Amino acid sequence: MITEAATRRVHVIQGEWKVVNDPDVVLSTILGSCVAACMRDPVAGVGGMNHFLLPGSADAISSGGDATRYGVHLMELLINGLLKKGARRERLEAKIFGGAKTIARFSNVGEQNALFARQFLMDEGIQVVGESTGGDHGRKLEYWPLSGRARQYALTGVEAQKAVAQEQRPRPVPKPVDNAIEFF
Amino acid sequence: MSLAEKIKVLIVDDQVTSRLLLGDALQQLGFKQITVAGDGEQGAKIMAAQPHHLVISDFNMPKMDGLGLLAAVRNNPATKKAAFIMLTAQGDRALVTKAAALGANNVLAKPFTIEKMKAAIEAVFGALK
Repeated sequence: MITEAATRRVHVIQGEWKVVNDPDVVLSTILGSCVAACMRDPVAGVGGMNHFLLPGSADAISSGGDATRYGVHLMELLINGLLKKGARRERLEAKIFGGAKTIARFSNVGEQNALFARQFLMDEGIQVVGESTGGDHGRKLEYWPLSGRARQYALTGVEAQKAVAQEQRPRPVPKPVDNAIEFF
Repeated sequence: MSLAEKIKVLIVDDQVTSRLLLGDALQQLGFKQITVAGDGEQGAKIMAAQPHHLVISDFNMPKMDGLGLLAAVRNNPATKKAAFIMLTAQGDRALVTKAAALGANNVLAKPFTIEKMKAAIEAVFGALK
């Protein structure tokens, strides 16, 4: 039985990624139409989570649009973070959550986000061992990166509104960065 | 034949998706001769066997990273003059300094726009069209 009291909770907000190898850490997040990819290497004992929302719709990987690049970037940061902590790409396993159709005006953004994650993982040859995407409700998600255990709660009413509000909060526009590095 | 069509490019990245995106971007810029490699070691082998004019390589890769590949390319008389653009997902000043010391022509932070990639290539080769 997992001793919940001893666990340290690390929250992952939109646009972020976290990698841990501490068995006492649980990663958590709140998802509306956003998607979180949870990945781990069971042998190396390291795991992590990212959380992204790709704006717009029908932005397939092949389109190569800015939103796609941003999603690929967040996936790459998570994978690089895992590899740095000793994970091996061929041992990675993933779970995908989120992508709900929380309110009508988000149209199919959630679905597109889930589709993106699924396509990316398939192209990269990373095994998807669990998925809970779509639906009308947001999710509160907990992921134990070392065991790979995930738990989710459907958000309804006030909680769901909070999740949506969180996603609608102004965030840095997911655009390719031009100024992160000085050219020489 | 445009300049872009004449330039042989080698893309080196361990992520399939990143290779696809970069390949698409290069095709949009008019490049026709594009080769891909999945890590630095494979990239170095391809360069040694079949020199390319331009290498666009990720930094963080298994086996041999981008800096290792850059050193290998610069140490081989047949490829030492090839243009080398390093890509990095983590904007890191120390990496830029190391890449510059090893003779990289440019370092681009991911995610980059096609325009940025075009500018980085044109800074080495001149106007593509």
